[in-house]
Amino acid sequence: MSVVVANRLTHWFGHDMALDSVDLVVDAGEHMAVLGDNGAGKTTLLRVLATALRPTSGTVEIAGLNAFREKRRLRHYLGYVGHTLGLYPALTAAENLEFFCDLQGVDRARVDGVLDIVGLRGDAHRRAGQLSRGMQQRLAIARAVLHEPRLLILDEPDASLGADAADLLATVMRNRTVVLATHDHSLANRLCPRTLNLRHGRSVGTATRLHVVK
Amino acid sequence: MNPFRVAVAVAIKDLRSEWRTRELVPALAQFIVLALLIANFGFQIDARDAPQIVPGVLWLALVFAGLVAFGRTFSAEREQASLEAMMLTPASPIAIFAGKAVAATALLILCEAVLVPALSLFFGTALDPGVVFAVLLATVGMAALGCLFAALVARVRARELLLPLLTLPLWIPFIIAGGQAVQAALGLPGNYDEAVGLLIDFDILFVVLTSLAARYVLDE
Repeated sequence: MSVVVANRLTHWFGHDMALDSVDLVVDAGEHMAVLGDNGAGKTTLLRVLATALRPTSGTVEIAGLNAFREKRRLRHYLGYVGHTLGLYPALTAAENLEFFCDLQGVDRARVDGVLDIVGLRGDAHRRAGQLSRGMQQRLAIARAVLHEPRLLILDEPDASLGADAADLLATVMRNRTVVLATHDHSLANRLCPRTLNLRHGRSVGTATRLHVVK
Repeated sequence: MNPFRVAVAVAIKDLRSEWRTRELVPALAQFIVLALLIANFGFQIDARDAPQIVPGVLWLALVFAGLVAFGRTFSAEREQASLEAMMLTPASPIAIFAGKAVAATALLILCEAVLVPALSLFFGTALDPGVVFAVLLATVGMAALGCLFAALVARVRARELLLPLLTLPLWIPFIIAGGQAVQAALGLPGNYDEAVGLLIDFDILFVVLTSLAARYVLDE
């Protein structure tokens, strides 16, 4: 069963075309990597799939629902880690997550468990603004899985994560449908059986398992 | 999803952030004191003409402090991209807006706690509960409008310019009714009850209208 079906997604920023008729199908439980150079349209595509950005034209269906007409119903279903992390620097790591528990309507008791998964349990009471960039990235990942979403959209989640990035991501991606954008081909190869390649906003094909030439 | 829980969480988050960073309130309180000081020297006010001039000084200081306070409510969220994270939750945009408006109102009330006694100190007018009540009533409606337009302009580059242009015309009813109420409370001719009644009407009207509009402003 397909969880994400995107048809002819096109998006313009003023006179610049960021996405050009991109089609995408992601099946339930599948992990797909979106690859491409800077400016290829990865972030735009992921923001559209996360319903954070309405495309100029084209349609997106998530779990059989029109992603933009029914976006509020899809919020429980979706977890998103964006390029910018959107954390509150004056709040502690735990307070950031507790705040989003209230907004997601989930029990605050989940916070400790999620901090454990991303390895931030010991830093729960440090302000987000005092955490390193990698720790902030972990906190953003923790926030994205707080409500146990079935679909996870990750925009360069490995940025600043360090050596155990792949293990952490493999843990949070388990039993979920995932669309992940990255520059790291070896990470994509390890975590995602299928890839979508973008160039200048256009899909230049999908592939299964990359062969990385060292 | 309990909208009340969401609104309370948003308000507490904003107030906690302000308490820890102290970005807004100390600067606004300082601005208010300076504005009163300038007015005090500029107008050469004595005890006889103070009641005529004080309401104008009060509303001028309040309006400009309010513009800064409400402008920060959404621009800070946009800068750290946290508004998008909030909007990607199932929480109602109206509840998010209400929480932010409540926090902004609370911060402005803190500034008013400096403004009203300072007026009394600088201009020798009585610290009248009627003045405090009128200012608090006006703050509610002004906060609703100020936060709505702050959310609207937060995504544009010239937001500092656009916010006063959009907000000030719609604050005029509060300034007129509030000005009348303060004048009456300070012993000048005027009907205090009528002015306060008008302020309550405006509050209800603008709180309802902005709540309805907030969904569209925040969602898109």
